Amino acid sequence: MRALAIAWKDVRHTYRSFAGLAMMIIAPLLLAGAIGAAFGGGGGFSVPITKTVVVDLDGGAAGGALVSALTSERLADLLAVTKTTDAAAARASVDTGEAEVAVIVPAGLTAALSAASPAPVDVEIYKDPTSTLGPAIAGSVVQDLVQSLNGARAAASAAAQLAAMQGITDSARLTALAAKTAQAFSADAQKGGTYAVGSRAPVTPGGSGSTKPNTAGQILVGMMLFFTLFGAATPARSIIDEQREGTLSRLFTTSTPRSVVLGGKYISVFLVVLLQTVILLVAGRLLFGAHWGSIGPVIVLVLAGALVAASLGLLTVSYAKTPAQAGGGSAGIFVFLGLISGSFTGTASIGGAYDVVRHISPLGWLIDGWNHTMFGGSWGGIVVPVLAALAFAVVFFGVATFFFRRRFA
Amino acid sequence: MDAIVVDKLRKQFDPPKGPVAVDGVSFAIREGEIFSLLGPNGAGKTTTISILSCLLKPDAGEADIGGFSVIRKPDEVKKLIGVVPQDIALYDDLSGRENLMFWGRMYGLSGSALSKRVDEVLELIGLTDRQKDRVDKYSGGMKRRVNIGAALLHKPKILYLDEPTVGIDPQSRRAILDGVKDLNSQGMTVLYTTHYMEEAQELSDRVGIMDHGRMIAVGTQPELVRLVGEKTRIDLGVDKDSHQLAEHWRALPGVASVTEEEAGPLSILAEDANTLMPLLFDSARAAGARVTKIDLAEPNLEMVFLHLTGRALRD
Ligand SMILES: Nc1ncnc2c1ncn2[C@@H]1O[C@H](COP(=O)(O)OP(=O)(O)OP(=O)(O)O)[C@@H](O)[C@H]1O
Ligand SMILES: [Mg+2]
Repeated sequence: MRALAIAWKDVRHTYRSFAGLAMMIIAPLLLAGAIGAAFGGGGGFSVPITKTVVVDLDGGAAGGALVSALTSERLADLLAVTKTTDAAAARASVDTGEAEVAVIVPAGLTAALSAASPAPVDVEIYKDPTSTLGPAIAGSVVQDLVQSLNGARAAASAAAQLAAMQGITDSARLTALAAKTAQAFSADAQKGGTYAVGSRAPVTPGGSGSTKPNTAGQILVGMMLFFTLFGAATPARSIIDEQREGTLSRLFTTSTPRSVVLGGKYISVFLVVLLQTVILLVAGRLLFGAHWGSIGPVIVLVLAGALVAASLGLLTVSYAKTPAQAGGGSAGIFVFLGLISGSFTGTASIGGAYDVVRHISPLGWLIDGWNHTMFGGSWGGIVVPVLAALAFAVVFFGVATFFFRRRFA
Repeated sequence: MDAIVVDKLRKQFDPPKGPVAVDGVSFAIREGEIFSLLGPNGAGKTTTISILSCLLKPDAGEADIGGFSVIRKPDEVKKLIGVVPQDIALYDDLSGRENLMFWGRMYGLSGSALSKRVDEVLELIGLTDRQKDRVDKYSGGMKRRVNIGAALLHKPKILYLDEPTVGIDPQSRRAILDGVKDLNSQGMTVLYTTHYMEEAQELSDRVGIMDHGRMIAVGTQPELVRLVGEKTRIDLGVDKDSHQLAEHWRALPGVASVTEEEAGPLSILAEDANTLMPLLFDSARAAGARVTKIDLAEPNLEMVFLHLTGRALRD
């Protein structure tokens, strides 16, 4: 009862401060909104569309294949292709900034690729030097295709040679065979082309991976986890503030036991971040239309996240002597934990060694959990992340309590 | 029956190099008494109160409040006492009423009993009509009054007030002093610290004079004044280098002490003012100084302090 009175006072105090609200609620929403918008809002992550000009001076099979590859359906999200016949005009449009990249298929590409020993012919990628992603995509499409055509040529020539060795000498038949082989090979190569740059979100897809989560929502989860650390630090710091202002001493002169006073502080820190998380999730739903997943796992993740943030906030205050010390030290720790967890860089999906590093931070585990629920996963996928996060929380609470006990013994 | 018994309390901050704030202090306060701890800045008053409030553990010595040891039975002690801290300890962003409600809860009150008691205390401290304003909108005197009110909610048997009138206007000070007397007349035992001699003089049944962590004298006012003997205090203002004159006067017969205050008159404790005065005037004339002011006073607590320490109470 008394602990709740202390907690309520602190929750009120925290949510009455505009600076506190700006940091706890407004900053993560703005950041998630802004980054989400930059990456195309609604759907998964997508790269901005690159304006591309194609000039087919070849006019043969190879040129045609290149043009159709660049204008294919699966690249429509990435490249907006216009065709022209004038190479100089295409380059000029890049120079003026109308287009970011021009792909110029030289005359004689088909012939070169069909020749037994081809003369080197370059497909020209003329690009705006400041733009990197679009030209790189166009370039890799071209390279893949040229490679597969080269492969087709080699295969055709090998087939023709094989036929000749078998005693087939009719040149018309040989040519037809070679052409057929080449066609089959290149069709095959295109089908399994490696340039299928899909729009993939920067996260590890969850267990049953059926839903495609909302970009701003995904970013908001990272932001939320990161900013709850600061949200927790604010009421936790009130312990030091009250010590300095004398109200803590005054509390200790009342009949309320010290453990109850401290318990009230713990509850207030937990409630502050719990409320912050709920506000952010509801706001994310309303503002960005984010789907967080099924209710049960989401509740568990919310509670686990709040416990992690609260325990860490208390820990960073428990050993600090002054508010400045607590502020400075904790901000560094929070940014470090946020950065390695990938919670606001969207780098959680890089994998490899980084995937191990990420889990040094409790936020890394929580992000795993959230990715499961957001991708439509259910209980199974969140058990390990939640248990790991809770283990962090238990350790943090333990150490914090040790320091506080020593301090207020 | 003694409400408070303090025996050879000692407290050193940051040992071994830190200041010995309380150095073997002993005294007793009777039930229903107003006892003042009088002493200059740094005398150790707040440290003593902190020990008696179970906030600090003494290095040595013992203190019993209502028969309970502050060391072994702090929970029992806390039920008996109300503590008014020297520095205002309230929540600025809460209203006066909200503050009192909160502190009342901390003393274990709740529900309608709490609300009723808060109304009473607001009445007592004269803030009923401003109860809804935030504390940071209050004047210094109003804050002081809430600071006191917060210690009265649970009707403590024993009230500690640590310099409760510092930095406020004369009216608020008057109200506080009258309030303390009122509470005392209803049976509350009061431990009051101050460095204002007048307050100790007006309020106290008995006074303890502290300096440098030591209790240098304890007693009723007449008892203390008797320590000074039949001396009279003469305050003399001169228009010239008073330091040289002070040196001179210390050598005169019948001078117990001469205290110099910056830009103030010289204070002389005289065995017999009648015989000393002509000598003082003569020596002033000889030094080429003119006496600009003269004031005679009967012995008071200020003089007791002066007599015991050779220093003025106020620095
Ligand atoms: N927390 C502390 N740490 C170190 N030294 C302290 C501490 N509190 C008080 N002191 C020192 O102890 C001595 C007594 O201080 P205390 O506050 O008890 O005096 P006081 O009589 O209340 O003075 P004032 O009239 O200024 O309030 C002083 O020298 C002070 O500097
Ligand atoms: Mg003091």
